Amino acid sequence: MKDLLRTNSSLQEGIETILNLQSKIESDASNKYLAMASWLDRNGFANTADYMYKQAEEERGHFLKIFKYITEAGGIAITPTVAEVQQEFASFKSVFEIALDNEIAVTNAINKVIAKCRLENDYATEEFMMWYVVEQREEEKHARRALELFELIDEDSATGKFELDVQIAKIGAVE
Amino acid sequence: MSEFNQLKNNVLFETANGFSYQCDLTNSIVINFVGTTSSYKVRDFLIFQRKVNSVLILEMLYDLSDQSDAQLIETTKRNFSRNLTICEIVQLRELLNGTKFTLNLYSMLHSVLSVEAV
Repeated sequence: MKDLLRTNSSLQEGIETILNLQSKIESDASNKYLAMASWLDRNGFANTADYMYKQAEEERGHFLKIFKYITEAGGIAITPTVAEVQQEFASFKSVFEIALDNEIAVTNAINKVIAKCRLENDYATEEFMMWYVVEQREEEKHARRALELFELIDEDSATGKFELDVQIAKIGAVE
Repeated sequence: MSEFNQLKNNVLFETANGFSYQCDLTNSIVINFVGTTSSYKVRDFLIFQRKVNSVLILEMLYDLSDQSDAQLIETTKRNFSRNLTICEIVQLRELLNGTKFTLNLYSMLHSVLSVEAV
């Protein structure tokens, strides 16, 4: 009798479940950035709004990459439901504090996926997820740099907010 | 006769209300439940099994309205489309979960035996 489960898919059920969960986390992250971009846009921070729009697209790319991997490996990719995201923010700075918290949460989730892959001896998925490890290192670095700029530029000075809007938007572009 | 024996060997799970078997020729899983026979590719079977498992039985039990006495269970590509009572949903669940258990067991045995063979 044939092993239909294995001939159909290289993903074990537990790995498939955690990958679907990760794809939802990435999809939610994209929506969170979109809400931040909207808030920044309507409060006059046009440059950082563009930066957040790009981040939203990038996160969507991350989501699709996992989504396609699940299907390619023979699993069942589940379209994530759209969760409620925070639409209002207390201040310009708080947007970036929340962005960093979100990135740290995504990094922790990716680490859990890799730990699960090691537990189940799924080295192919582990190798696939390593791309995300490198990516998250970069994402966290950018989020920290944004907060660092708030230390360097006085938000309450005459042109502080304007300068911050310009400088934060340059993160990642000047490397 | 040999075909019949082959079918008997490929039975995955059996309950009082139905049975399931694996067809190695078409790489599919055949489910016979209360007289309805339907055939599935593995992914479609797993989607079907998850769908039946996701039915909120307790909510159906506590809801006193007539429409919650039964629920339409439809599978992908409409292999199976029936209005099932709470009792039938539980029975179908048993059959599908048992089938999945056997598939997992076979898969596990295959991987252990193939390692042994290497």
